[in-house]
Amino acid sequence: MNYQGERTTGFASPASDNIEGTIDLMSAALDLRQPSRYPVRVEGDALLGRSIRHGDILVVDSAVAPRAGVVVVASVGDELRVCELTQRAGEWWLRSSSPQASPVQVDDDTDVAIWAVATGLVRTDV
Amino acid sequence: MRVYGLIDGNSFYCSCQRAFEPRLKHKPVVVLSNNDGCAIARTREAKALGVKMGDAWHIARKRPESQPVVWYSSNYALYADMSRRMYQVLAERLPAVEPYSIDEMFLDLSDLPGDLHERCRQIRQDVAEHAKIPTCIGWGPTKTIAKVANGVAKDHAELDGLCDLTDPAVRQDWYCRTSIDEVWGIGRQTKQKLLGAGIETIAEFVALDAKTVRQMLTVVGGRVQAELRGQSCLPLSDIAATRKSIASTRTFGRLLLKWEEIREAIAHYANRAAEKLRKDELEAAHLSVLMQTNPHNGDPWYAKHAAITIEPTSDARDLIRHATALGRAIWLPGYRYFKAGVILSDLRPAGSQGLMFTFRDPAQSATVMAALDAVNARFGSGTLLPGSTGLKRTWSPRQSLLSGRYTTRLEEIVKARSW
Repeated sequence: MNYQGERTTGFASPASDNIEGTIDLMSAALDLRQPSRYPVRVEGDALLGRSIRHGDILVVDSAVAPRAGVVVVASVGDELRVCELTQRAGEWWLRSSSPQASPVQVDDDTDVAIWAVATGLVRTDV
Repeated sequence: MRVYGLIDGNSFYCSCQRAFEPRLKHKPVVVLSNNDGCAIARTREAKALGVKMGDAWHIARKRPESQPVVWYSSNYALYADMSRRMYQVLAERLPAVEPYSIDEMFLDLSDLPGDLHERCRQIRQDVAEHAKIPTCIGWGPTKTIAKVANGVAKDHAELDGLCDLTDPAVRQDWYCRTSIDEVWGIGRQTKQKLLGAGIETIAEFVALDAKTVRQMLTVVGGRVQAELRGQSCLPLSDIAATRKSIASTRTFGRLLLKWEEIREAIAHYANRAAEKLRKDELEAAHLSVLMQTNPHNGDPWYAKHAAITIEPTSDARDLIRHATALGRAIWLPGYRYFKAGVILSDLRPAGSQGLMFTFRDPAQSATVMAALDAVNARFGSGTLLPGSTGLKRTWSPRQSLLSGRYTTRLEEIVKARSW
């Protein structure tokens, strides 16, 4: 079956110049075969405000350019954290969901680095 | 102009581990061979602590200076997927890439627009960003020169992982300072011959008369020399076209005496080999089994190898049946077995029927195997197994230091704390 709404047998399809592939959710957000996509299991409910729950699988992409406000997986010293990214005066900061915790600046010298940017989320325990 | 490149992952297995564990960033990391036997990959920090290639783990880990080392069992599922990522990043950016080994790939860098050095710098950065693997790239007019260039890039940190040996004058300069040891295709014996003739550096080897080299080292040595002189003899190949044989051999986690245990291991190896066969859509018409005692522990030496021609098949059940029958014929009681294996050869495309009288039912076999492979593809390798391969597998190689298979097993992916 290779009919895309274009090759009709009787009347020529008026849509034949406008055929687009159906949305491919896999490649848009999830496809882990892309060399920069990795799955990460979320631990803890600190990001419930962003609707990210304990046990969720975040699909992250290490080649996506960071933007202010996105959710990232970052390495802070020895651990990986899921948190929000913000920008202040040209510098990148990791912002905790807790107002008490002060932001941490992304800086190679202090071993704080963006590991990958979240591009999708899979929840299997719904 | 023809330009070949060689990119390779720095301490590749260790870098794969580091990619998923920030705590390893500045730590000495060592990856051990199958069965946690000896060191097969070391980071710079581990080398600095004196861990040598091939060091036995049970000895090396007791040395006081090895105390900070983080040791890992080899996690080939992870390394293969990271190699796949590295290849894909390259293949998306260059006209041709030849995966030469799990951590080295030859590149076609001929006639690319723009500055080649800048291009290679970008490629190196992209691989680090996407596949999270630090690399070095060397390039030149032949594959052998690219390999030398790669070695230079690796040994000289000031080059930032890049080395261009396209210019004959630059090349000559490095050739004078580099040992023939570093040349691809110069093995231990060849090196001894050359050293005997007073040849130590690449420059000295390249300066030899071509005819003398051919007399001394046959055409193979002659080709190495021609390549080092800039005459390309080895074209870029594609992904290895077809396998000639499939081997599944392993050292056991402990010495095995009983036939029942060895039978399980042989059935397991035959099953693994059959999986590889089907993945490549091949059938095997020849099967051999080997079995041996440990050559190093003082046990009486016994090593036996047996082979038979079989009706071409990729059915795990056929191959297990043949392999265990063959294994039973060479197994002798009283020995403590150290290693066994199954090797399939005379491989041919699946379904290419040659025999007039067949005992197998190929259609039924294909259906069963397709179902088996589909279940294992969906629920993870090893979900559905022939019972003869054993359930407990107490003979499995030791992998006491295995990390998660972060990209191939959903239950083993990295975890990150919500903050």
